[in-house]
Amino acid sequence: MNPLIQLKNITFKAQNKTILDIPEFQINAGEFLGIMGPNGAGKSTLLKVVSFLEQQTSGEILYLGQVIPIGNAPIELRRKFSIALQQSLLLDGTVFHNIAIGLTLRKISKAVINEKVEYWMELFGISHLAKKNALYLSGGEAQRVNLARAMIVEPEILFLDEPFSALDFPTKIKLMEDFKGIIETAQTTAVYVSHDLMEINYLTNRLAIIVNGEVKQSGPTPRVLEHPNSSTSSFLNEWKKFYPLAR
Amino acid sequence: MLRKRYFAVLFAFMLLILSACGNTETKDAVAKEKKPAPKAAPTEMILATTTSTQDSGLLDVLIPMFEKENNVKVKTIAVGTGQALEMGTKGEADVLLVHAPASEKAVVDAGDAINYKRVMYNDFILVGPKDNPAGVSGDDIKAAFKKLADSKATFVSRGDDSGTHKKELGIWTADNIKPAGDWYVSTGQGMGQTLQVAAEKKGYVLTDRATWLAQEKNLDTLQIVVEGGKDLMNIYHVMQVNPEKHDKINSKDAEKFVEFMVNSKTQDVIESFGKKEYGQSLFYKYTE
Amino acid sequence: MELLIDGLKKAIEMILSGDQEVYAITWLTLKVCLISILISTLIGLPFGIFLGLTRFKGRRILLLFINIGMGLPPVVAGLWITMLLWRSGPLGDLSLLYSPTAIVMAQILVSLPIVTSLTCTAFQQISDKMLLQIKALGATKFQTFIILIKQLKIAILAAIMAGFGRVIAEVGAAMMVGGNILGDTRILTTTIVMEVSKGNFDIALALSFILLSVALLITAALTFLQQRKRIS
Repeated sequence: MNPLIQLKNITFKAQNKTILDIPEFQINAGEFLGIMGPNGAGKSTLLKVVSFLEQQTSGEILYLGQVIPIGNAPIELRRKFSIALQQSLLLDGTVFHNIAIGLTLRKISKAVINEKVEYWMELFGISHLAKKNALYLSGGEAQRVNLARAMIVEPEILFLDEPFSALDFPTKIKLMEDFKGIIETAQTTAVYVSHDLMEINYLTNRLAIIVNGEVKQSGPTPRVLEHPNSSTSSFLNEWKKFYPLAR
Repeated sequence: MLRKRYFAVLFAFMLLILSACGNTETKDAVAKEKKPAPKAAPTEMILATTTSTQDSGLLDVLIPMFEKENNVKVKTIAVGTGQALEMGTKGEADVLLVHAPASEKAVVDAGDAINYKRVMYNDFILVGPKDNPAGVSGDDIKAAFKKLADSKATFVSRGDDSGTHKKELGIWTADNIKPAGDWYVSTGQGMGQTLQVAAEKKGYVLTDRATWLAQEKNLDTLQIVVEGGKDLMNIYHVMQVNPEKHDKINSKDAEKFVEFMVNSKTQDVIESFGKKEYGQSLFYKYTE
Repeated sequence: MELLIDGLKKAIEMILSGDQEVYAITWLTLKVCLISILISTLIGLPFGIFLGLTRFKGRRILLLFINIGMGLPPVVAGLWITMLLWRSGPLGDLSLLYSPTAIVMAQILVSLPIVTSLTCTAFQQISDKMLLQIKALGATKFQTFIILIKQLKIAILAAIMAGFGRVIAEVGAAMMVGGNILGDTRILTTTIVMEVSKGNFDIALALSFILLSVALLITAALTFLQQRKRIS
C-alpha cells in the first residue's frame, strides 16, 4: 500500500461535542475510497478535514509521510485536491468560465485553459453548454459542470460529497456511469462520501463505515458489504433490504 | 470574456477618480514647495461676516481686490452676525465684518476683538404687504412696531440671532412689547428666505435695504412702508480677532484687511457698488 | 412653469457659454463627491465584506451603529467635523476647516455607513458552503475576495450608488464645514442654497439642472456597469 494521506489520532470537536475520533486512517494512491454511514455520523466533516478545508482539533495529518501543521496547509498542497459537493455551487458566469476557474486561479495560460476546458466539456458531454450562464442549468447539467470543474485541475485526490444525491434517478444513473468511466481513465484517486449503498457499491473499491464519528469497519468494498461486523450490521442490513448485492 | 472588459471600464473609472484625487495632492505639494520661493504662496485668512454683505454681492467685488493686493486667500464665511461674533470669540476667524453694534461692543470690551473700526452703513426698512392692513407709514419705526403689535398684523422675524434680528428685538424692547402669538412668525433663516416667507404670508418684515433692493424683483406682494428714521441706521464695523487670546490667528492679514476696508479707495468702491444696477448705493461710506 | 423653462434655458446657456465659474463649481462638486465615494468604497467595501462573512462578539452592536449611521443627518456629521477641525479642536493644527478636504471628510462620514451596511447585507447571504467550495477550488484569501466581489457586483454597485446619491445631494454638512467659499469650497448644492437666499431663483434652478445632469451621468455609468447584459 502506498498512503497519500494518513490520519493519526484525529479528533474534531464543535461546541464541546466530539464529531470525529479517528485513531488511524489512510487514503491510498489510486483507490476509489467510499466513506459511508448514517446521517450525522461525521462523514462530511472527515472529508473537510482530510482535504485541509477545516482544521482538526487535535491529531496529525501526514501527506506523503510528512506532517502538515494544523490549520497551516500551504496553498500549493490544497491545490493538489479538488472537491465536489451535493450542491453544484456554480458561479454567475458562463459554463466555460466555471469550468476554467480552477485553472484561472492557478494562473495557467489562456491557451492551455481553452484546450483543457474543451477537453473536459467533451468528456462530460456539455460542450454545447459552454456559453450558457451556469446558474440557468438543469440539476444534471449543473452537476456535470461541477464535476468537470473539479476534474480539470487533474487533482491528486478528488473528494466527493454525495454529488449525485440531488438528482433524479435516470439522470443519476447516466451521470454515474459516465463519471466512473472518466475517473478510471484518468486514474484519479477519489474519496466518495455517501449514505447510499447503491452508489457506494457501484463506484468504490474500498470502503470505510463511520458511525458516531468513529471508523467502525474498513476494507475492500465487497467484503465490508457482505460481512458487516457487530457495529455496522444494523446500518448496512437496513440498506441491503432494498439493494440485494449484485456486483 | 465580456465581463473582463466591463471590469476594465470600472477599473479605469476608479483610476480616473484616483488621479483626480492625486492631482489635488500634487497641487498641494507644489504649493508647499513653493513657499521659500520669492513669490510666496498666499496666506489664508478667515473672514466671518453676515449674509447681507455676501448676498448683496459686495464681497464679490471687495475680496478679490484685497486678495490681489496682499497675496492672501480670504475664506469668507457668511453667517448671521451672532454666529460671526461667536466665531470671533472662539478664535475660529481672523477678522469680522458685522452689523450689530450693541453685541459687538460686548465682544470688544471682553478683549476678544481689537482694532474696531466703523466702515459703512445702509439702513433698515420695514416692508409690508401692498395693501398695508396695519396702515403703518412714515419714518418712526417704534410707532410702527406698536401699531403692528396692536393690530396683530403678521410679522415675519429672522429669529436667527443675526444683526437684523438683534435690531428688530431692540425695537420691540424699546417699545416694551414682547412679540408672541400667531401673528409673530420666526423663520430662523437668512434675510432672503425671510423676505420670501413674508411675501408668501403677506407679512411685515424688517430688512436691510441692500437685500431688499437685490430681491425686490421676486417680491411683488411687498413694498416699503417705513424708512428713513434715525433708529433705522444699519452700521457695519470691521474688527480683528485678538491674536493674544487665541492661537493660530492670522493677525497680520487681518490688520491689513481692517486698513483696507477703511481706506478711501475701498470706501469709494463701496459707495459706488450697486449704483448701476439699482440706481442707488447699497452701502454708504461711514468711517470715523 | 415659466420659471422652470427659464431655468432650463439658463442652464443650457451656462453650459454652452462656457461660464468659467459654473464649470469650476461643477468640476469641484464632481471631484469632491467622487473622491468621497471612492474613499468610502475603499474602506466600506472590505469592511462590509468582513462584517458580512465573519461572526464575532460585538458584531451585532457594531452593525447596529453602522445602520444608525445610515440615517446620520448630514448637518450632524457637519457639526462633528467642524468641531474636530476648529482651530481650538483636536485637528486644528491641520487648518482643514473651510477646505474641500473638510467637505470630503463630512461626505465620507455620511456615505461610509451606507456603503458598509449594504455591502455587509449582500455578503451575509453568501453561504458557508459556497465559501468552502471557492476555497476548495484553490483560491487564496485574496482570490476568494475577488471572486466574491465579482459575484456580488450588482449589490456592490447598488451600495456605491446609494452612497453616491447621499453624497451628491448633501448640502448641510458641505455648507458648515466648507463655508461655501467662492473658488474653493463652493459646490453645486451650496451654490443653490446661496442663490435661493439671494433670490436668484433662475440661477438656482439652472444650477439644479446641472446638478441633476451630473448625478444622472454618474448614476447612469454605474447602472450600465451593474446591468451589463447577462448571459442566459
